[in-house]
Amino acid sequence: MAIIETKNLHRHYQDGDSTIHAVDGIDLSVEEGEFTAIIGPSGSGKTTLLNLIGGLDNPTSGTVVVDQKEIHELSDNELINFRLRHIGFVFQAYNLIPVLTAQENVEFIMLLQGKSASDRRKRANELLKSVGLEKQAHKRPNELSGGQQQRVAVARALASKPSFVLADEPTANLDSKSTEDLLDIMYHLNQEEGITFLFSTHDQRVIDRANRLVYVEDGKIKTDTRA
Amino acid sequence: MKIILNIAWRNIWRNKLRSLVVIISIMLGIWSGIFVSAFSFGLNDQRKDALLRNQFSHLQIHNPQWKDQMEVKYTLSNATTALNLLSAHKEVSASAPRVIANGMASTAHYSGGIQIFGVEPAQEDALTGLAAKIDSGSYFTEKGRNPILIGAALAEKLEVKPGSKVILNFSNGDQDLVSASFKVKGIYHEVSSTIEKMKVYVRARDLQQLLDMETNEYHEVAAYLQNEEQSDSLKPFLQNALPESLVENWKDLAPELAYSDSIMTQMLFIIIGIIMLALSFGIINTMLMAVLERRKELGVLMCVGMSKGKIFSMIILETLYLSLMGGPLGILLGLLSVQQGQKTGLSLEVFSDGLASYGIGTIIYPSVPNSFYYGTAAIVFTMTLIASIYPARRALKMNPIETIRTI
Repeated sequence: MAIIETKNLHRHYQDGDSTIHAVDGIDLSVEEGEFTAIIGPSGSGKTTLLNLIGGLDNPTSGTVVVDQKEIHELSDNELINFRLRHIGFVFQAYNLIPVLTAQENVEFIMLLQGKSASDRRKRANELLKSVGLEKQAHKRPNELSGGQQQRVAVARALASKPSFVLADEPTANLDSKSTEDLLDIMYHLNQEEGITFLFSTHDQRVIDRANRLVYVEDGKIKTDTRA
Repeated sequence: MKIILNIAWRNIWRNKLRSLVVIISIMLGIWSGIFVSAFSFGLNDQRKDALLRNQFSHLQIHNPQWKDQMEVKYTLSNATTALNLLSAHKEVSASAPRVIANGMASTAHYSGGIQIFGVEPAQEDALTGLAAKIDSGSYFTEKGRNPILIGAALAEKLEVKPGSKVILNFSNGDQDLVSASFKVKGIYHEVSSTIEKMKVYVRARDLQQLLDMETNEYHEVAAYLQNEEQSDSLKPFLQNALPESLVENWKDLAPELAYSDSIMTQMLFIIIGIIMLALSFGIINTMLMAVLERRKELGVLMCVGMSKGKIFSMIILETLYLSLMGGPLGILLGLLSVQQGQKTGLSLEVFSDGLASYGIGTIIYPSVPNSFYYGTAAIVFTMTLIASIYPARRALKMNPIETIRTI
């Protein structure tokens, strides 16, 4: 069953007199359990596509259906709530909350969901363990390496038990070792726990692990291949 | 909510220097506001006390005609009754009768207009503490003929010292000019040089004799109360008991004193308000910087599901934390420095001449009513709350997609 479905999705920007077709009629369906990479050159529309799927941007036309819900019909607050429960985000620049420890960053999402303190603690510990950071639980982001921060970000993205995780260039700022570690963790989560991942990436190492590659250029899907 | 409180608290310590600068500036602003207010309150209270003690007392009783024409013939018909009533009343701490005449004091060097107060020495001393104000010479005794006490400023002009003679000229009840020689018994010092130049004291019986008055005839009965507020209730009581006389309290006698008393609090709250208004702009500026430099982070918070309401609360809380630290510290500092000032007093020796003509001593004891501290705390809280709204609204207006560019 498709958990993400876009139909004839367009996102146009006005740049002076010209119109930029960042996303130009994309039909994309992502099934549960996929490990999909959206690839393509810079400016091809990968990030815009992910922003639209994540409900961070509004389409010019077309629809995005996530878990059977047309997300752009939701009000601002409904959308915030929807993202909180259905979508996990991993950002290129980690974007952890600097004043919270690793564990608190992971718990934060659950706290917004209204989970009890014991549930939060338990799941945060599990997640930090699964990304190999149980010993760094009480460190703040500035005390962690880039790779460690991104692993906390993955744990945070999974904290709310989302339907899928959107990750925009998650390895762009990481060295080879950290990239491999992170990919191992995400691949493991995908294979063992069936978590769906949707990446945008340039990184060959991510591409090598993906079980589906969607090549985007000029806002259109050029190829869509499954491993 | 706990996590919002927690994040907001940690956020303000991300830039310690900036937060400390804001906290300290709030603290110093409030402190200076309170101290300036305490100083003004102290100045006003002391001026009022001095004027009430030396000049007006809390209550005065006269012949109703006296108010329009201070003529010798308008004496009190019931001075003894009035004095008995006052001395029987427990709220009255002292009372004294006076014979009053306007005239001239002359020596070979100078002559000038004066007001002659014929007083009962013991009662007058109890009412105004006159004996203690004598700098040179001594207070009245039963002995001696026509002794007079004159102010230091007048003594200087007349070029007299204890033992010197002064000629007083004034008219009696029949408008005949009376001239009498008085011997300077003592020279008194007042906080106000105007009073020193104007008032001379003689014994009541000497003046009564010169004015052809009976020994129980007076022009004025003045009373000092335990508490100035009691004058409001005592006035109608006395007026009822003495219908043929005019009873006035200090608010009737010196309306400007009562007025300055009532506007003082409002005026000082306005000063605190202005200080806080200036501080508010500092707070807005700081918080705006804090919000703008955290655009991306706030965008992420919105992306991951933090509602706008929570983000708004977080920024408001950060602002409140700053003032809730600076405000109470400032109030505490104000409280301590006012307490210290009350113990030691603030010497304004340099301005003593100006202050003396204004009716104030050179040592000022700052004081503020407790309600002023609560009022200041309320102003700090309200102004900060208002100041926090703009940065918090700015944070809400951010579009997450624009702040983080990528998801």
